[in-house]
Amino acid sequence: MSYHFGRGWAKLIPYLLLLPGLFFYFLISFGPSMATAFYSFTDATGIRGAPVRWIGFDNYREFLFMGRASLDNLDALKRTLIFSFVVTTVQFTLGLIVALIVNQKLRFSNIFRTIYFMPVILGVVIQGLMWSLFLFPIGGPVAKLLALFGLRSEFLGGQPAEAFAWVIFIQIWANLGVTMMIFIAGLQTIPSELYEAARIDGANTWQVFTNVTWPLLTPSVNTNLLLNTIGSLQAWQLFLVLLGYRNGTQVLGYLIYATGFGQTSGSVTTSFRQGYAAAASIVLFLLVLVIGMTLQQYLQRREKRILG
Amino acid sequence: MSTPSSDNFPVRRIRWGVIGSYAVMIFFALLYLGPLLMLVNTSLKTMPSFMKDATSLATELHFENFREAWTKANFPRYLLNSVIYTFSATTIYILAAVFVAFPIARGYVKYSGVILTLFVIALFLPPALIPQFQLILNLGLYNNPIGYVMLFLVNPIGIVILVNYIKTIPRELDEAAALDGCGYARFVWTIVMPLIRPAIATVIVLHAIGIWNELIAPTIYLTSKEYYPITRGLIVFQGVYGSNWPTLAAAVLMLTLPMLILFLFLQRYIVSGLTAGSVKG
Repeated sequence: MSYHFGRGWAKLIPYLLLLPGLFFYFLISFGPSMATAFYSFTDATGIRGAPVRWIGFDNYREFLFMGRASLDNLDALKRTLIFSFVVTTVQFTLGLIVALIVNQKLRFSNIFRTIYFMPVILGVVIQGLMWSLFLFPIGGPVAKLLALFGLRSEFLGGQPAEAFAWVIFIQIWANLGVTMMIFIAGLQTIPSELYEAARIDGANTWQVFTNVTWPLLTPSVNTNLLLNTIGSLQAWQLFLVLLGYRNGTQVLGYLIYATGFGQTSGSVTTSFRQGYAAAASIVLFLLVLVIGMTLQQYLQRREKRILG
Repeated sequence: MSTPSSDNFPVRRIRWGVIGSYAVMIFFALLYLGPLLMLVNTSLKTMPSFMKDATSLATELHFENFREAWTKANFPRYLLNSVIYTFSATTIYILAAVFVAFPIARGYVKYSGVILTLFVIALFLPPALIPQFQLILNLGLYNNPIGYVMLFLVNPIGIVILVNYIKTIPRELDEAAALDGCGYARFVWTIVMPLIRPAIATVIVLHAIGIWNELIAPTIYLTSKEYYPITRGLIVFQGVYGSNWPTLAAAVLMLTLPMLILFLFLQRYIVSGLTAGSVKG
């Protein structure tokens, strides 16, 4: 790693020029992330200059073990896990199927690929408003389609469980393109000779998939599973656009935001309880950490077994 | 293998596969284009015709929805804000990022491996939401465009993408340039930057889309309407015109179309950014 651009003091120039980027990172991202742990033990509010007192584990105790509110919190936690599990498994499976189909290089398949990827660039606001309109309950397209089968739905305005299910659906719709693209990138690294060899050996389509495609796709499988799991555990912005802070639909990410920055839900307005929200952040962080690490361990062992 | 039926069989099976593939692709395409078409159709209707039948095709084209949305929603202002935030934060970020990524990739700074790891683990750290707010508040930058832009000067994934790309550029280049008397800063600025243009484009596009589409930060940090970016503006507009779908649809569409056009040109960079590093694991 010899440095060619001068000696002595000149060797410090790279450090000097690296500083701004590193400084921003520590100031805005890394530092605040770490400080979340500190704030979780305080009664910080969102008011400038208000005293911040150390209150030990009170926030955690209240979050987990105090009456009605903590039951709601545990419900939100359970809902976060359900959301993450359903989104990850469905998005993973559909993403793989769509990638395999699009990757056949049929005519127009590039156009289809572009169409599926489209929502990724539009962002949650447009994604959410688009679907609010598409799910218009009075004579909207989906409502009409359901009516053909004699079904009715209030969609996003319906029962909490139903509204929640629609958010899951839209979340998958919005991010399927990323999963698909990662799989396609993986599929394109598999040498075509392997497929030909398998065919010559008399393997059928399913055997080719299980013996060639699936094992060689391991890196993309790992990336997708990890990204989807971690991403969906932390995702909540579509809830904000589609439902607002509605009882029976909250996930942890939204709960953190709502308790930290005040949020009106029906007649209940929460105040700026930032210490409490920080404690909820740490709970979510631990959830992500435990699930992410376990998954990572498993995927690494599996990769070793398959790819040697 | 020589009987006619088994000779025909593979041909027919492949055909079915193709038809099935198109059926699946078209089904999914409808799922993706449907909401977009509904948006277009609704934006061209009047409110009474929408209430009468939400899905009927617009028979007359009512472009006044667009005019109404454009003027009433204060869109020009919000759009300008979004452009300013996105442009300034992305420019500062990318300049700083190249000078972080280059010495790390080359090992020109001590502990470059450790520094890179610091950026990589950012994905797994606790949400920074609360302390970030306390920081901005105590710096007196709440409801201040400068404070808002500051939030977007960080993007760890971009650093990783740049480092990986810079590693593919031969080291001999550094030596040769140094022998010719080229200084470090000038080398990075005039020689490295042009060489890593594809990676820079990818990172810029990823970062800019993130800022453009951001909804939470403006909701938390900007209270004055004159500072709102377009995302927040749209949500506020929805709050006021939520039941007037033709106007709201026109507003949403006016923001969707430019993004879609841009997307068609930039797709390559977005895809390479999102799939970066995924193949190697």
